[in-house]
Amino acid sequence: MKKTVLPLGPFHPLLEEAECYKLYVEGETVVDIDMRIGYMHRGIEKLSQSKTFDQVPFNVERICGICSTSHPIAYVNAVEDLAQIEIPERARHIRNIVCELERLESHLLWAGLAGHFIGYDTVFMWAWKYREPILDICELVFGNRNHYAMMKIGGVRRDIKEEDYPAINSMLDTVAAGAELFTGAVMDDPVIHARTKGVGILTKEDAIAYGTVGPTVRGSDIADDIRRDDPYAAYDMVDWNVVTYEGGDVFAKTAVRLLELFESVKIIRESLAKMRPGPIEAEVRTIPRGEGVGHAEAPRGEVFHYVRSDGSSSPVRHKVRAPSYVNIPSFKATCVGETIADVALITAAVDPCYCCTERMAVVDRRTDDVLVTGEELVRVSREKTKRIKADLGEQTPLDKLAHTLERERS
Amino acid sequence: MGNSTALAMVKEGLPAKIIEIVERSPRRVYVYIAPDEILDAARFMFEQCGGRLATVSGIDTRSGIELVYHWMFPKDHQFIMIKTKVKKPFPEIDSIGRFLPAANWIEREIHDLFGVTFRGHPDFRRLLLADSWPEGVHPYLRDVRFEEFQP
Repeated sequence: MKKTVLPLGPFHPLLEEAECYKLYVEGETVVDIDMRIGYMHRGIEKLSQSKTFDQVPFNVERICGICSTSHPIAYVNAVEDLAQIEIPERARHIRNIVCELERLESHLLWAGLAGHFIGYDTVFMWAWKYREPILDICELVFGNRNHYAMMKIGGVRRDIKEEDYPAINSMLDTVAAGAELFTGAVMDDPVIHARTKGVGILTKEDAIAYGTVGPTVRGSDIADDIRRDDPYAAYDMVDWNVVTYEGGDVFAKTAVRLLELFESVKIIRESLAKMRPGPIEAEVRTIPRGEGVGHAEAPRGEVFHYVRSDGSSSPVRHKVRAPSYVNIPSFKATCVGETIADVALITAAVDPCYCCTERMAVVDRRTDDVLVTGEELVRVSREKTKRIKADLGEQTPLDKLAHTLERERS
Repeated sequence: MGNSTALAMVKEGLPAKIIEIVERSPRRVYVYIAPDEILDAARFMFEQCGGRLATVSGIDTRSGIELVYHWMFPKDHQFIMIKTKVKKPFPEIDSIGRFLPAANWIEREIHDLFGVTFRGHPDFRRLLLADSWPEGVHPYLRDVRFEEFQP
């Protein structure tokens, strides 16, 4: 059969990271995948070397637009490891709260996009409906819906006011109730099962060999979570569980993310309850010579920062490794042998730059003619869901829930 | 793996001569070895100790390119850094990407940015730099003069 090359990416105005995937396909089946990055190389590491230690959090906060607090916290962890700084307890709890609010927001964003992609627009609108109160709380407490600018070496920049506690708690109630409904519906939905179970399996061996992190590795039933394995902030002071799921398929990764919502809610509640009034930062005068390693569990997995200082006011070397950097190469293990309609979903399950997939085009290798446009591939994926739904012939739990909500509103 | 921690195993059986070992804190240990022993050391860290390669950092120093292999050991709550230094002007080291897919991309990246050649890498193409970027210019080296060329 004729082998065709199918490029995905590299550019789209909505992307936070641009990448180019080349899928080698025979008919509908993917036989190989090749990836190329660097289209958006911004030289952040080099830039850090020209900034003072204090300015770097601002710089690294802008690496990612969604998990914007993960990079600063990994960086301050690294510098605090370097300079052996102990931070006050209240600051540790506040860090917990910032990180978990971000995780809630990011996981719901992903759930919505994944829903849209397989043709469940209800899921999309619904997940984003519950994401909104979280962002409102972020604005209330940190002053911004994104880029919270809370992290600084030695502590946090802003305190959480006692009068804001009730607002946070009531938001958590709303989100937890929503997540409960949502998770129940998604986990029982036969169409979602048909689309995601057994699709894009990442075996335990592959997950270890590729060094994958975050929900990607936890979906392969490996309990690897930086929050537990190398506790930072106040994760060792609150009671929570590492969520894992068996299977390694898209469904398992979805399940991990959805179940983590509840753990995040639990962590925020507990940190709020345990916080006592006190200082929110330790005094830091100079950063000595030496090196430090810091990492943090971002919504997508481990963010890793390495900082080396020569005793001056700026780092001599600052190495950053984002979670997608190790998760994306695992596509080589998960995509081969799958169909084109599923590949978009598998790549999305890792939660990389999602919009890449909207720029797909099938190209005949001999003539370079574009055979299929990106929108058409989204359509292929959505149609597959429609077919499954039609075969099923009855209302799915998700549809039923959507109808109930519709009735409630009117 | 048994009950012994990764650090104990490294001290006991790392198949490389340990030049220096620095335990900065219980969770952060730095181990210096010679560059020609990196492949055996990496195999030991991955296969025997069950470490996860977080990443590799390259640092340009006066005497050579320093490579820091960051191994994470979730069970022991520990990070072990295997450090080595390759000589300039033509730095070369064995690739560990030949047996460990996790090292594939980062070795290509270090080649792009620092010009280190990884011997035996399965797929040694450019990763980060554009195709139009001039050969032999490695932007993270300290002596690169950006005025001299147009990318």
